[in-house]
Amino acid sequence: MSTNNMSDPRRPNKVLRYKPPPSECNPALDDPTPDYMNLLGMIFSMCGLMLKLKWCAWVAVYCSFISFANSRSSEDTKQMMSSFILTPLSCLRLSISAVVMSYLQNPQPMTPPW
Amino acid sequence: MKAFHTFCVVLLVFGSVSEAKFDDFEDEEDIVEYDDNDFAEFEDVMEDSVTESPQRVIITEDDEDETTVELEGQDENQEGDFEDADTQEGDTESEPYDDEEFEGYEDKPDTSSSKNKDPITIVDVPAHLQNSWESYYLEILMVTGLLAYIMNYIIGKNKNSRLAQAWFNTHRELLESNFTLVGDDGTNKEATSTGKLNQENEHIYNLWCSGRVCCEGMLIQLRFLKRQDLLNVLARMMRPVSDQVQIKVTMNDEDMDTYVFAVGTRKALVRLQKEMQDLSEFCSDKPKSGAKYGLPDSLAILSEMGEVTDGMMDTKMVHFLTHYADKIESVHFSDQFSGPKIMQEEGQPLKLPDTKRTLLFTFNGNTYPKDMEALLPLMNMVIYSIDKAKKFRLNREGKQKADKNRARVEENFLKLTHVQRQEAAQSRREEKKRAEKERIMNEEDPEKQRRLEEAALRREQKKLEKKQMKMKQIKVKAM
Repeated sequence: MSTNNMSDPRRPNKVLRYKPPPSECNPALDDPTPDYMNLLGMIFSMCGLMLKLKWCAWVAVYCSFISFANSRSSEDTKQMMSSFILTPLSCLRLSISAVVMSYLQNPQPMTPPW
Repeated sequence: MKAFHTFCVVLLVFGSVSEAKFDDFEDEEDIVEYDDNDFAEFEDVMEDSVTESPQRVIITEDDEDETTVELEGQDENQEGDFEDADTQEGDTESEPYDDEEFEGYEDKPDTSSSKNKDPITIVDVPAHLQNSWESYYLEILMVTGLLAYIMNYIIGKNKNSRLAQAWFNTHRELLESNFTLVGDDGTNKEATSTGKLNQENEHIYNLWCSGRVCCEGMLIQLRFLKRQDLLNVLARMMRPVSDQVQIKVTMNDEDMDTYVFAVGTRKALVRLQKEMQDLSEFCSDKPKSGAKYGLPDSLAILSEMGEVTDGMMDTKMVHFLTHYADKIESVHFSDQFSGPKIMQEEGQPLKLPDTKRTLLFTFNGNTYPKDMEALLPLMNMVIYSIDKAKKFRLNREGKQKADKNRARVEENFLKLTHVQRQEAAQSRREEKKRAEKERIMNEEDPEKQRRLEEAALRREQKKLEKKQMKMKQIKVKAM
């Protein structure tokens, strides 16, 4: 038994595989920032497109960038996360298209909302 | 449909607003035409210049001389601008003509030109006609902001990754000497060490180690600050936060005795006591100071029993805690660990959440990769704690107290959920009855039907009898 103390404590026969923690409640518990920013980005880009307000479209671009930077998982292949990953990218696309459309329809420079 | 109508209305409103910008032009053209009608004789000449900007018409009413019509400012009109230059240049062009002709008519030209001056409003050139980059200053600002954000994202991401790598490099040896499997993301078919961190996020890195005596496995989570998000960086300038290393060791059931114990900064302990299920149930007192054991004032202790604290706070542990007190956020040993309290809308969950014997450590990290060596002793403390948890056993008294506590907690929980469990049992019984009845109805053979019905009836009678017997027994006992 004394040799056990001196020798290494490793036990190859007792290896357990890594199980990713069940994420039914975790995404909601952690940091809701990416979800909020996603929603805001969607709303602002729709506003910008419909009401032709350039500043709305720019704010939407910012929101989608923030949502992307804060997004929770970097793995696109994870099944659980796929629904969470698609929306930040789609928000980015939508907001950029809102900006582009606003400028195509009205090439004037932006007037500040104040 | 209503939404569609409102959108149409909104679009129309904005369309008309944009059209209003052109009203100025139309008004002026109307006024020019009105003036032209006064001098209807010269309509032919007027029509040519109607499309151009208003011109000043100087007409001589001298019957003797030929009537000439001067269309001034025609050359300048090609630009289409309403600038001050027009009025000045109009005046200078009258010089080539005889002043004598116009002696008596100085007023008239003035009045006619003043009449023509009235409708001219000097308007600023709209921004989109200026054709200069300066007018797009807001757009440039926005794009610069976006570029700054992207730069910060890249820099933050790199810094976090460098910190993680530095941490892993310093700790790799210690981990590999203690665990068979260092680094696993759960996707490989065989259990081989990947030997690298699992990047979950731009600021969270995981490492799973397994294959050691006493414990099932150890999950290390490096939670860095969100350096990749500019908003977070700005928010952090207001209140300082630091990186955290969270270590969760899952112990084997037979290698840890039953106790709940926590040590850490006061703030962290208060928060944990509120959040964690087991701490709130078993350690109901406020965090006590650890000065009795030689701990610095910044650290406090939450414990189920005094005996546990005495057992845990041996010299080596105290040494670790005092020397690295600034790096330690919290240390939590528990056999009833089930995570944070779950808030459910429909009231209490029907059964107690699963518990696992775990040791949890939260350490504050460094901001520079080269300082990662300072965290190495903390990992030593973790390994020491694992071995200690295996060795530490409560004596008989302590064990009794611990068992009593656990029974008490379970009883409380059962009481709270009694009503719900009753309802659940009732509904289950009803389901069973309904299923049986359906089976009886569905039986096509009348014989079988009759037999099943009789069986059900007999069962019900038996139940009634049993209940009556119980009531009788209770009555006898009461007497």
